[in-house]
Amino acid sequence: MNDWLERLSQLPQQWFDSPIAAIALTLGAYFFGIRLFKLMHRPTWCPPMLIAAILIAVTIALLPIGIDDYNRGAGWLMLLLGPATVALAVPLYQQLPQIRALWKPILLTLPLSATLAACYAVIIAAAMGAPKEVLASLAPKSVTSPIALGLAEELGGSRALLMGALLTTGVTAIFGVEWLSRVLHIRDPRLIGLALGINGHALGTVRAFEISSAAGAFASLGMSLTGAFTAVVLPLVWHLFY
Amino acid sequence: MSVLRGFLWLLVFLLLGQAVVALFRLPMPSGVIGMLLLTLFFGYRGGMNPDVVHISQPLIAMLALLIMPGVVEIFFVAGQFADQWVAILTALIAGTLLSVLSSLLLMRRYLPASDAPGLAAGNAGHE
Repeated sequence: MNDWLERLSQLPQQWFDSPIAAIALTLGAYFFGIRLFKLMHRPTWCPPMLIAAILIAVTIALLPIGIDDYNRGAGWLMLLLGPATVALAVPLYQQLPQIRALWKPILLTLPLSATLAACYAVIIAAAMGAPKEVLASLAPKSVTSPIALGLAEELGGSRALLMGALLTTGVTAIFGVEWLSRVLHIRDPRLIGLALGINGHALGTVRAFEISSAAGAFASLGMSLTGAFTAVVLPLVWHLFY
Repeated sequence: MSVLRGFLWLLVFLLLGQAVVALFRLPMPSGVIGMLLLTLFFGYRGGMNPDVVHISQPLIAMLALLIMPGVVEIFFVAGQFADQWVAILTALIAGTLLSVLSSLLLMRRYLPASDAPGLAAGNAGHE
């Protein structure tokens, strides 16, 4: 009997020795998050991702495993981030005629929007006395995660704080775009998509695809251009100040 | 099989992106370069490969899922930033709302109004 209990207590550790358990936990939490999100009548302030992340955190805290065990396994899932980014070529190509017709205004407004997205947050945090490490983790907050992770590393920020900042930013951007576009009477899906992609990175882009495929394509465009622009400019500007 | 073939296409363009990043020392992730290369390739071929279209939809829908594992860690290092929370949250929420407002205003000012009624109708229908 004791033998059995002994073996049972070692099971979580054994499960998390291979990436399977972490991947299963992530997928399970994701679908549970979506279900709970629907049961809660789709609150904009609490997306399924947040519910799922809390659920995973609670599970890890309850089981005799550490966050490192989970991260090691979940890293395998995050490998898909690369191919998923390449897959954005499909909506981008589909909207190419639209984008080609608008390249001038997009090129004029996007760099400014992307700069403002980073500046506001950094200025507010700096004014409230946040140290350099926190500022470095907040600066790439509107950039899609594969780019943002590289940027935070280069600027000396915290990876965990950046991911939290990405989630908060994505949620706020989705809420903000839907609320402010109603206030401003903006209904053009291209504009809403661009705003979602520039400010809300992948989360905003996924939301834009739910609105319409045109909004989604403009969001992927906004997201990739913001990412490319910020990746080049942010390190240069940052090293001017620090 | 079609999905796997499409996946192989994506992996090949990801590797090509990585090659370009390494050769030209670009400060960008290989995924973004791979995406641009694939878009250019579609443009050159004058159409999309149906295998890639098949795999792209589920993968794009997964993007939100893929950033989630990274988010979990914040709950375990939260103590480290205990005295910074107010500043961090204010900066993120106020900063994002401000930047959404400025990008919406900027683009409404400079983007010509859509002359394709189908686009606007598609959005109105959703709301």
